[in-house]
Amino acid sequence: MKILHCPLNGPRNISEFVYGGQVKPMPNPESATDTEWAAYVFYENNSIGVVQEWWLHAPSSYWFIVERHNGSDTILRTYDPSELLSNPGMVSLEDAIQ
Amino acid sequence: MTVMLTSPIHSLPSTPIHGGLSLEDASLAARRGVRGRHAADHLRDQGLTVPPVPNQIVASGDDQWVMALSRREFWIINPQQLATAAMPDSTAIASEVWPLYCQHSHSWLILQGAQRADVAAKLCAVDLRSEAFPLGAVAQTQAARVSVIIAHHTNSQQQPVFSLFVDQAVSEYLWLTLQDAMGEFI
Repeated sequence: MKILHCPLNGPRNISEFVYGGQVKPMPNPESATDTEWAAYVFYENNSIGVVQEWWLHAPSSYWFIVERHNGSDTILRTYDPSELLSNPGMVSLEDAIQ
Repeated sequence: MTVMLTSPIHSLPSTPIHGGLSLEDASLAARRGVRGRHAADHLRDQGLTVPPVPNQIVASGDDQWVMALSRREFWIINPQQLATAAMPDSTAIASEVWPLYCQHSHSWLILQGAQRADVAAKLCAVDLRSEAFPLGAVAQTQAARVSVIIAHHTNSQQQPVFSLFVDQAVSEYLWLTLQDAMGEFI
């Protein structure tokens, strides 16, 4: 069993987690074009390398960020999403983690 | 109209107590929850003791316990008080403080006995032995493949117990699974 380190709960079996997709800035829903919104919803980068991903620890309903090398499947770091709030492009995340 | 509260596992046979190992259904005991940016301050304003960090449980007053599930989510549980059938609040309790449902969503099982960690080890990957999971610790994890919250605290006789909170939909399954696991020790 793989072990993933949850920033809130500590090391847990990977079976307790759910993958939530790539971290990417959300365009403004009020002003984004259909093309921009479709790209946000449906397109993934899929390049090999270190990626930022949303993961959910299901028993505690806690969302956090994983930095993972998708070539070697090595987990480099896990952290609370509040760290991303300093990035102006991710400001809208604040509502998501309330 | 009088509404009678019923535990979802009230009709299941209880476990014979042997060697101090027992499993109790405390689903009808009172509990409530709050969440939000100001939830911790709200509880302190009510005179409650709040754990300093998530995944801890502390005694607050004679019978109550406050459990921190995250920095903004808290359950207040009272094993000695019977729950009411009243509907919980559905609107903000105070500024940035919201109700967090736990009375009617989760069943509450209490596992007691010196071998409680050995029983739990058959079902749960987290090390729940006292050296790694002391009194006051809380684990949000899975047991027998279902999500559970396990709190390590003392009961009214000052005996250490595990309180297990599990979704009511699977409480019968977990009750029977725990009984099966206890069978090795009693």
